[in-house]
Order: sequence, then C-alpha cells, then structure tokens
Amino acid sequence: MRFILEDTINGILMGSIYGLAAMGLTVIFGVLKVINFAHGSLLMVGMYVAYWAVILTGLHPYLSLVIVVPVMFLFGYFLQDIIIKPIFKAEKDVREPITVIIVTTGVWYILDNLSLLVFGPQYRNIQDNPLRGKMLEVGGMLLSVPKLWGFFAALLTAGAIYWFFQMTRTGRAIRATSLDREAASLQGINQYKMYNLAVGIGTAVAGIAGVSLVPFYNIFPSVGVLFDIKCFIIVVLGGLGSMGGALLGGMIIGVIEHVGAQFMAATWTEAIVYGIFLVFLFLKPSGLFGVKYEW
Amino acid sequence: MGRNTIRIVPPVLAGVIVLALPLAVRNPTYLHILVLLYLYAYLTTSWNLVGGFAGVLPLGHAAFVGIGAYTSTVLSLQYGISPWIGMIIGGILATIAGVIIGLPTFKMRGAYFALATIAFAEGLRVVVENIDNLGPFRLNGPRGLQIPPLKTGLLNFMFATKEPYYYIILFMLAGVLLLTYVISRSKLGHYLVAGGEEPEAAMALGVNVARAKLTAMAISSFLTAFAGTFWAQFTLYIHPKSVMSLDISFEIAFIALIGGRGSIAGPVLGALLLRPVSDFSRIYFGDKLPGLHLIIFGVVLILVMLYQPRGLQEPLTRAYRSITKKFLGHAEAA
Amino acid sequence: MRGKNIWWKAYVCVLAFAFVCSMAFLTDRPALAQPKEVKVGNILPLSGPSASVGQQNRQAQDMAIEEINAAGGIKSLGGAKITLIYADSESKPDKGVAEAERLINTEKVHVLTGCWNSAVTYPTTAVSERYGIPFIVPVSVADKITEQGFKTVFRIAAKDGWWVRDQFAFISDLQKEFNKKLSTLAFVYENGDWGKGMASGWKTLAEKGGYKVVMDEPYPSTQTDMSPLVQKIKRANPDVLLLVSNAADAILITNTMADYKVKPKAIIGSGGGHADPSFLTAAGKNAKYLFDIVEWETDVNKPGAKEINAKFKSKYGYNLAGESVDAYVAMYVMADTLERAKSLDPKAILDALAKTKLTKGPAMIVGYDAIEFDATGQNKYAALVMVQINDIGKGMERISVWPKGARRAGYKPVFPIP
Repeated sequence: MRFILEDTINGILMGSIYGLAAMGLTVIFGVLKVINFAHGSLLMVGMYVAYWAVILTGLHPYLSLVIVVPVMFLFGYFLQDIIIKPIFKAEKDVREPITVIIVTTGVWYILDNLSLLVFGPQYRNIQDNPLRGKMLEVGGMLLSVPKLWGFFAALLTAGAIYWFFQMTRTGRAIRATSLDREAASLQGINQYKMYNLAVGIGTAVAGIAGVSLVPFYNIFPSVGVLFDIKCFIIVVLGGLGSMGGALLGGMIIGVIEHVGAQFMAATWTEAIVYGIFLVFLFLKPSGLFGVKYEW
Repeated sequence: MGRNTIRIVPPVLAGVIVLALPLAVRNPTYLHILVLLYLYAYLTTSWNLVGGFAGVLPLGHAAFVGIGAYTSTVLSLQYGISPWIGMIIGGILATIAGVIIGLPTFKMRGAYFALATIAFAEGLRVVVENIDNLGPFRLNGPRGLQIPPLKTGLLNFMFATKEPYYYIILFMLAGVLLLTYVISRSKLGHYLVAGGEEPEAAMALGVNVARAKLTAMAISSFLTAFAGTFWAQFTLYIHPKSVMSLDISFEIAFIALIGGRGSIAGPVLGALLLRPVSDFSRIYFGDKLPGLHLIIFGVVLILVMLYQPRGLQEPLTRAYRSITKKFLGHAEAA
Repeated sequence: MRGKNIWWKAYVCVLAFAFVCSMAFLTDRPALAQPKEVKVGNILPLSGPSASVGQQNRQAQDMAIEEINAAGGIKSLGGAKITLIYADSESKPDKGVAEAERLINTEKVHVLTGCWNSAVTYPTTAVSERYGIPFIVPVSVADKITEQGFKTVFRIAAKDGWWVRDQFAFISDLQKEFNKKLSTLAFVYENGDWGKGMASGWKTLAEKGGYKVVMDEPYPSTQTDMSPLVQKIKRANPDVLLLVSNAADAILITNTMADYKVKPKAIIGSGGGHADPSFLTAAGKNAKYLFDIVEWETDVNKPGAKEINAKFKSKYGYNLAGESVDAYVAMYVMADTLERAKSLDPKAILDALAKTKLTKGPAMIVGYDAIEFDATGQNKYAALVMVQINDIGKGMERISVWPKGARRAGYKPVFPIP
C-alpha cells in the first residue's frame, strides 16, 4: 500500500507544523504550569502579523520571520507582564493558579473578537507567495513544499529551544523557576522576569508556527480556535515541557488525521484524536517524554 | 425591629419581587431573557457543587446538558414519553456519565482535570454530530431535532406563553439553591471543602475525598441534565452545537467564577451580572460591532480575576452586611 | 482600608447598573407609534463563520429598499417608507429564535426575513408562525422549511430537492451533449444541515440514475487541512465530484486539489461557498472549469440585470451572487405584496403574499419569468442555472451554461476537464 506511506509522510509533515504550534504552548504550560487558553489566539495573531508583514513588504514568508519573531516575543512578554503577572503575585501560595486560566480565556475572547472587529470576518490568504501550491514529487508521491518548509522550521525551532533551555544560563534559570519557584528565587533569580521570558519565547514560537502556516492556509479571526484544543492534546501527548514531545505528539496527530481519513470520514478522526487524548490522560498523563510530576 | 426581622426582610422581599415579576413584565422577549438568566443561574449553581465546593475546574458540563436534552427529546419524539420522565432518565444517564468521567479524572491535577473534561465534552459532541442513529434512537446528527409544538399542558412540558416556563425554572433554581445550602451544612459539604483545600490533611483525618467528589459530581451532572431538558422544551430545537458546545461549558464556569464559586449566592450573582451584558450587547451592538459582547465579557473576566479572584460575591456580601449592620445599629439604639 | 471602600462602592455601582438594565425590562416601551412606516426585521449571520455572506445579503437588501423608498415607498399606504432592522443570528439557531421574538414583540416588525443558515431559519419560522407574522425566506434551501405546514412562510429560493434534481439533470445532459458516459460519482459535503440534506438527495438520485457512488464523505467545514480529503478523492478517482461547501472550505479544497493534481472529469459545486465572490478571488486559476449551480449569474439574459449588478458592484466592490439576488428580489416581492395588501395587518399581508404573481419590475432580473408561491409557500418557478468558471479572455468569470436556453451565446462548456 504505497498510499499509506504517502499519507504517513504527509501526516508527519503537517503534524510537525501542529507540533510547532504546540511547542510554544508547552514552553508556557511547562514553565508556568497553567493552561493558556489564549494560545490559539496567539497563533492567530502570529498569522496576521506574518500576513501583513508579507503583504506590506513583499518579503518571502520565511524571511518575514525577522519581523514576526521579535514582534511576537514582545507581545507575549508584555502580555505576561501586564495581565498575568499580577495574578501570580496575588496567588503566590497556590501551586497552580486557576484564575490564570480564566484570565487567559478572557484574553482569548478579546483577541479573537478584536481582530474580528479590526480585520473583518473575511478569509484571507497570500495568493502569490513563492511557496503556494508547490509540490515535490518523490517516487510517485506528492509532497507539499510549504509543509516541508514547515517541517524543517519545526525541527530547527525544536532544536534551538532545547539548546536554549539546556545550555544557556537564562534557559536554565527558567527551568529552575518552573521546578520550584521559591528555591529559584532564593538563588537570586527574578521569577517574574523568568515567566515573562518564557511567555515571550512561547509566543515567538507561535509566531514561527504562524509563518509556516501562512503560505498555504486561510487566515481569519477564529482560526486560532481550531488549533487551541489540538495544541493542548499534543502537549499532553508529548509531555509537558518537552520540545521533542511536542513535535512527536504533533506528528502522531497528523498521521492519525491523514491515514485515518482514508479509512473513515474526517469527522470521525476528530473523535479518535479525543479518544487517544483521554487514554493518555488516564494512563500516562506525563505524556511520552514528560517528567513525572507528583500528583 | 428585631434582628431576625432585618435578616429576613431582604430575601423575602426579593422572593416576592421575583414571583410577581411576570405580572409587571409583559413583553415576551424580556421574559425570555429572564428565563435564560434563571436557567444559567441554575446551571452555574449545579456546576458549583463540583466546581465550587470540590475545588476542581470542570469545563465540560455542556455534555450533561446535551445528554439531558437529547434523552428527553428522543424519548418524547419517538416514543411519546412525557418529557418529565425523560428528564429523570436523562438525569440518570448524565449521572452515570459524570461518575465515569469523574473516576479517573479526579486524581489529576487542576489543569489536567480541566482538559480531560473538555476532551470528554468535545468528544461526545463530535460523536453525536456524526451519528444519525444510535441503535434504535434517531439523533439526526448535525441537523438536530425539532420539537413540534404539540398540545400544550403540564404533562407535555409545552406551553404557549413564557410565564409557565418562568415559574418552572424559578422553582428549579430555588430548589437547587436550597440543595446547595443543605449540602454546604452537611458532612458532604465539609468533606468537599476540606478535600478541595487540603486533600492530604483531609485524607489523614479519614475523609474519603474521592468518594465525596464523586458524589458531588453525580449530583451536579444529574441536575445539569434537567436544565438540558428544560432548554429543549423551551427553545424547541436542539442540535449538538447549541446544547453541547464548549461555549456553554465555558460560560457556565465563568459565570460561577466571576460571581464567586464555592459560595451559594455567587453563581446567581454572576448570572445576574453577566447575562444582561451578553444579551444587551448583542441586541444593541450585534449588527454594528459584531463580537463586541465577547470582548466585554473578556475584559470583565480579566478585571474580576485581577482584583477579586474570589468572585464578586465577596465584596458584595461585605457591603450587604455592613448595610444591614447599620440598620441593626439604629434599631438597637432606638 | 480606604482602597477596599472604593472597591465595594464600585461593585455596588456595577450591580446597580445590572439591576437597572434588568429593570429596563419592566418598562415595556411601545414601538414608536409612527404611522405609515413599514418595519421589516431581518435576521442574518452578521458575525461568525457565515458573516461575509450575511453582509452581502444585507447589502443587497439595503440597496433594494433604498430604491423602493426613493421611488416613493409603498404608495397604497400613503407613501410609507420601509425600514429594515437587522439582527445578528451568529449562525446559531437559538440566537435566531431569540432575535425573532425580540423583533416581533419589542420592535413590532410587520414582516420578518432571514436567516440564511437553514439550521437557523428552520426553528425561527416556528416563532413567526406562532405570532402570525409573515416570514419571507430569501435564501435557505432546506426542503423542510416549507414542509412544516406553516401558513406564514414564503420562500424565494428553490428548495434543495430541486437543486439536486437539476444537478443530476445537468449530468445526464452533459453526457448527451458530449456523447461521453459518466458512471462514478463522489459526494463530498460540509457536515452540517445543508450538506447532509443535499447528500441524501444525491444518494437517491444516484440510485435512480444507475450511477456508482465511489465516495460519500462529510467533512467538518472548519477543517484545518484538506489534504487527506483530497487524497481520498484522488484515489477514489470519480468521474464526477459533487461538492457542498462554504467559502473557506471551498477555497481550501479547490486549491488543495490543484496542488495534488486531482482531476475528475467534472466538478459540480452547489452554490453557497462556491458562489461567494471571495471564492473566485482566492482560488483563481485553480477554479477553472468548475461547474456551479446557482439561482442567478451576472450574465443572465434579463433586462436590467447588468445595470443592477453594476450598481451593486460600484457600491460594494463585488458582484451580486445568486443569494444576494434572492435577498434583493425578496425586498421587491415584499414591496409588491404591501402595495396589494393596502394595509399593515398581518392577515392582509399574508393573503397578498399568497396571491403574488410578480412578472415585472427589478425583481425580474432572476433567471426565471415569474414569482408565484404554491400552497406550501414555495416559489414554484424558482429555477436554477448551471455555470462554468472559465477564463475566455477577460479574466476568470462565471459563464451560464445550462439549461441550454440560458447558455451564454457563443460559449461551449469545456468537458471533461482537460
């Protein structure tokens, strides 16, 4: 069945982009230990930023990263600093502030509807970008070129983030803060600054994901909603805080969607994804690569 | 004026106003809005049993609403069974579902629990959207089920005007508030609160926290399903996106959170504040500035969580108490 | 201590505000008693996934009413002007129902129109039936809307049973004209009320016509990636692909099919998303040779059609489409009805609506020759036209090809897809 190979490869490609989208979330979720329901909206913002960057400057979509990444980083940094930090301060003793979940949902509603008001409901896409519609033919199989680009972007980003967290001082400081807030601050680490950085990085990664989607995807205000739940599923599947896990989790979802769709209607693959998610939650909540936290 | 009189007067006054309201409010649209307000107050109060007292964040209660709505509708459309009976059966089914969901998920940490409930609710919705028939039962997938306006009457749970619906939901709301009060004073209530705040300490004292949480979940899902039946009989049309969507689960949870979960008045207060905002901004701004009410919602959410994370009921009850104290002060001096 | 004081004062104010809002309910404001003004309530998806078509409907209606009012309003009512009041359904049935209640009871509208999404129109018509208010449905096609036995519902568009019938008639005519046999069909449709309704019609007609159905697949309209679906189509290798899509998925599917080089002998859309102007802009060359069935096309051979379309285009930037034309026409049907009713009494309006026999005026830019309602409230002459998207030198456009009588002069449809 040559088809299964083709579907699996395409699933891996698309899945790596899902993984890229989820990577930002796993950074935020892993460090701050809170559900960030606004992540889909951050992705949406990243896509619009990429869209406008390309339209206004005529840059190659991936070159627009130069604009998108810093903009998104700052956006995330200040989002955390201005809106979420006060709650952390107020709930210092609570291990996982639930109110942050609510605040991020507020952010989600605001971002999505603000962009509806400002940009309008119409679906946009970048018609003449150099990547649109290009296919690579390999042994009778057709592979989508923009998705290939996304695949490599995902791998590179995963590697870069991993290196950052393992090798750099700041990265290790962030990890320390995520493991134990008090101990880290005893070491002189400003925990709030670490959180700001983490959210900034997570948002910047969402921006990268946005850039990889923009060459072949539709951009509209509620596009983030579709990705929101998917990203959470991937994060749980892959394991909190693990870049490789996010990538792998994304690929698994991608393969299920692509291969599964050949055997049943796409509407059922959605249900299967939820089912697998629940199985993981019950049996192995730490995911494939996550560190086991004590419950 | 004795103390007890002062204590009783406001609630009694409120009760009288609420009972007499339909006599003054004749416009069916406004009655409709009020009915929905009470319905959400009912939903959030039922949710509160798990989300407030047990200290977890369930974000999938729309699943129970859907189970209730579909059960009573399918039974009444296909087999002619009265929706009241269908309501009870729906409640039982929801309870089973709730316990099945609760068993594995209560062991999880807050965020994971929330995600699991979302996954269950969404998974159920996707399944219902995809199947036209579940065995002998006709669910009609995404096209939904329409309830034809049959003969009206209490037995059919079908009325031509809004007033009967108003009183039914009011009665349900009063019932669930009373139940919450009773539970809060009971052993179950205390176990829940202890289990929510300091599970290890509670267990050390011999409290079966897991069983308490499951009991709360069972009661909560049972009651929530009733709301589903009510909704079906009130709007006469159900389909997965309208009774089982994530939006509903979120709205329920957030109303409770803003009002103040874990308290009795909190959810009602939250509904009182947020439902008019949602309805009004849709009515006044719906065509010029679409989505504005959701922005307002989001802003309110953030502000409340930033400044009053325990919910608005806290400062409001304090204000209420200080006002009544002033009166008492006068009364006793006089 | 001082800080806290301010906060509880603020909350008291907020609660008082909410209370006042609720108390506003108590004052049952009677609708401003302005004699001789016709109020029409319009429920449309102005936000949410169908927002862009909702807006187009609205624009078409606005334009029609502007013209009617400028021409003197409803003369039999003393020159009464028509006022359109819009309400957002958000594509949600319960919101549509709530808005219908509000429009009838608070705004005291005389006529209702709406709601574009069949799923919203279906329960909303039950509301108007209960109150006896006339409800004109310009666009929603679900058969059951006029099959509820209601006396207040009147629909302009053809019902989806007819769409399906015409699509299959086209398929058989295509085979006759080009002397080529088509035997395998694939059904791909959005997983909602509309898609499923069309698909069940297709299944029945496919059986009758002796076709082999190689694929019958609903898909979630909001799906993020269409490539698995398109791969499946490619491997099923159908002669004819029948599609029911909203705008975004239509665009995505068309572009993805071009990417994966999927070429059935013919692709037939069902209006809706395929007829949306944004589809042509976004799909561009990839939409070449696609057939689509609609109520109306810009090149219809009817007097006034080109002018009215040009006016709409200059106002709003894009062409009229079948659905916006239905909305435009619905306004003229209503105006004609009011003229004959000579009163704003619901029964008089209903009576006049039922007797409608419109054959002249701006409403007749439709592809058929008369508007008349049968006993169920369905416009009996509503007819459809099949177009092919092609570039014959002036850029990508939609060209009427079927029925033969409606075909644009000098154009021969391209079949099979080269």
